[in-house]
Amino acid sequence: MKIDINFLKHMAKLSRIKLSQKELEKFTPQMKTILESVDVLQEVDTAGIKPMKKRVSFSDLREDIATISLTQEEVLRNANHTEMNLVKIYGKIF
Amino acid sequence: MENNKYDIIIGLEIHIQTKTKSKMFCTCPTGYFQKEPNTHVCPVCLGLPGALPVPNKRAIELCILMGLATHCTISNEIYFDRKHYFYPDLPKGYQISQYKNPICSNGLVKLSNTTVEIERIHQEEDVAKSTHHTEAGTNKEYSLIDYNKSGVPLIEIVTKPCIRSSSQAKEYATRIRQIARYLNISDADMEKGQMRCEPNISIQEKGKWKQEGREVVPIGNYKLNAKIEIKNIGSITAVEKSINYEVDRLIEEIEAGNNIKQQTRGWNANKGITEFQRSKETSDDYRYMAEPDIPVIKISKEDTDRISKELIELPDKKLDRYINTYQLSEYDANVLSANKDVAVLFDKLVVDIENELKDLPTSAKLASNCITGTIFAWINEKGISISSANLDIADLVAWNLALNSKEITKSKAEKLLRESLDNKKDLSKLLDDFRKQSSESATNLTDIVKDVILKNEKAVNDFKNGNKASMGFLIGQVMQITQGSADPNETKSILIKELE
Ligand SMILES: [Zn+2]
Repeated sequence: MKIDINFLKHMAKLSRIKLSQKELEKFTPQMKTILESVDVLQEVDTAGIKPMKKRVSFSDLREDIATISLTQEEVLRNANHTEMNLVKIYGKIF
Repeated sequence: MENNKYDIIIGLEIHIQTKTKSKMFCTCPTGYFQKEPNTHVCPVCLGLPGALPVPNKRAIELCILMGLATHCTISNEIYFDRKHYFYPDLPKGYQISQYKNPICSNGLVKLSNTTVEIERIHQEEDVAKSTHHTEAGTNKEYSLIDYNKSGVPLIEIVTKPCIRSSSQAKEYATRIRQIARYLNISDADMEKGQMRCEPNISIQEKGKWKQEGREVVPIGNYKLNAKIEIKNIGSITAVEKSINYEVDRLIEEIEAGNNIKQQTRGWNANKGITEFQRSKETSDDYRYMAEPDIPVIKISKEDTDRISKELIELPDKKLDRYINTYQLSEYDANVLSANKDVAVLFDKLVVDIENELKDLPTSAKLASNCITGTIFAWINEKGISISSANLDIADLVAWNLALNSKEITKSKAEKLLRESLDNKKDLSKLLDDFRKQSSESATNLTDIVKDVILKNEKAVNDFKNGNKASMGFLIGQVMQITQGSADPNETKSILIKELE
């Protein structure tokens, strides 16, 4: 994967973040350094080593019982805007 | 829609909300229809930082049940993945879904003339409900979000591109809905969004392409035409209509020499057309990754065996039994097997009538006529379901036996059934009353006949001397006295008996 300014532009678009040309130029080498350091992991020989992921039995799953959690007031408390008890979000989507 | 030059290649994705009490990864209640907005919400389905998902056992059982009903292979390990995209209806920034290892794979659904291959059935979670508006005054665009639907269990059923016509697509969607309802996996009400169909369609020249698994590949230098996806389909009829519209549109475009661009189109049911929504020049970049917050879930053979106990006889098997063992017409068999409650009533009725008559085809025919005739007419008229009609099996058996023995005429029997349904009257009581009345009127009729014979000496003598026409005169006399209520055949047989 080539980490260049276009890669960063694509990531910004998927994350719906607007970055200026200056920011793109600043963040590209930073992103490159981060990903390269994670890449070091790829050099470790993992042949024959099974993934270390926890396994549970089907019977350990949660039973289907419903409970009420947050109140409507609590749900809406962090919303910047609301209308008729719905969360209101400004902006054109797609 | 057959075409000599082109093949129609359709794949169908069907999403179904499964019927659980709590959401997929949290304990919030699922029922959100007409509920006060944002009242079935917790930190998990609101995507608050640090909240952890806990999978719902029943939801996974229902996904496996759908897989078993469609002859899928059930995976022995369940993995969840994160599918990332930013949209206000998805507060976490990703949807928990399944990418490489779906729970169910490689299934099939038999239709009347073909078999549809199922690629996969996987488990995921629904998103919040959003509506889009423009603010009066400021003209700003905005969305309103209700998180009650966020996290409701959702299964996605994906076919291979093996469907070849709109009617096959319609039959397939109908069958999937029927299976979901029969097995109580979902009410699959498309108007309420409990079931959503998204066909993808491409038109290719005959002989220039082949299907390899889930892929359509070109033969030789042929350049494949792009695939179109249709969204916003709100009914089974719209599945067929939207595909028909799109196929015609695509063939016109191709014939005009235009290049088809890969795109998503929305079905506009009011106008009966598909409309451009967005182009898909690049494939979606969902950055799938393994969900680190949910462990791998092991499914043993005991688990699938236990779940398979919920597999009751499905409509296709019932249809086959009704036609081949019960010797019903295909039409009647279809009508009786389509809805589970109707089929259950029919099956019970046949068994109980057959217990008395010891004749299976006759019993099946009687039960079929009884249900598809008066009962269907009545429930359609009242707009109610068969289960809320409060039908008594023992009463219906007695009614059918009376009809079969010709103790009661068809029209009189139907009148009684109708009366019992309309006025919530006991059908066996109505039958008993009818029997009493008819035996009284039979005694009455014999008296009237005797009286007519005494008073019409000449006609009686004429008849005895071989004048057959006199019989008509005597019957006429009886009819006059009874004001037309006597049965002519019955009158005739009593007359003959009395004249001997
Ligand atoms: Zn929740």
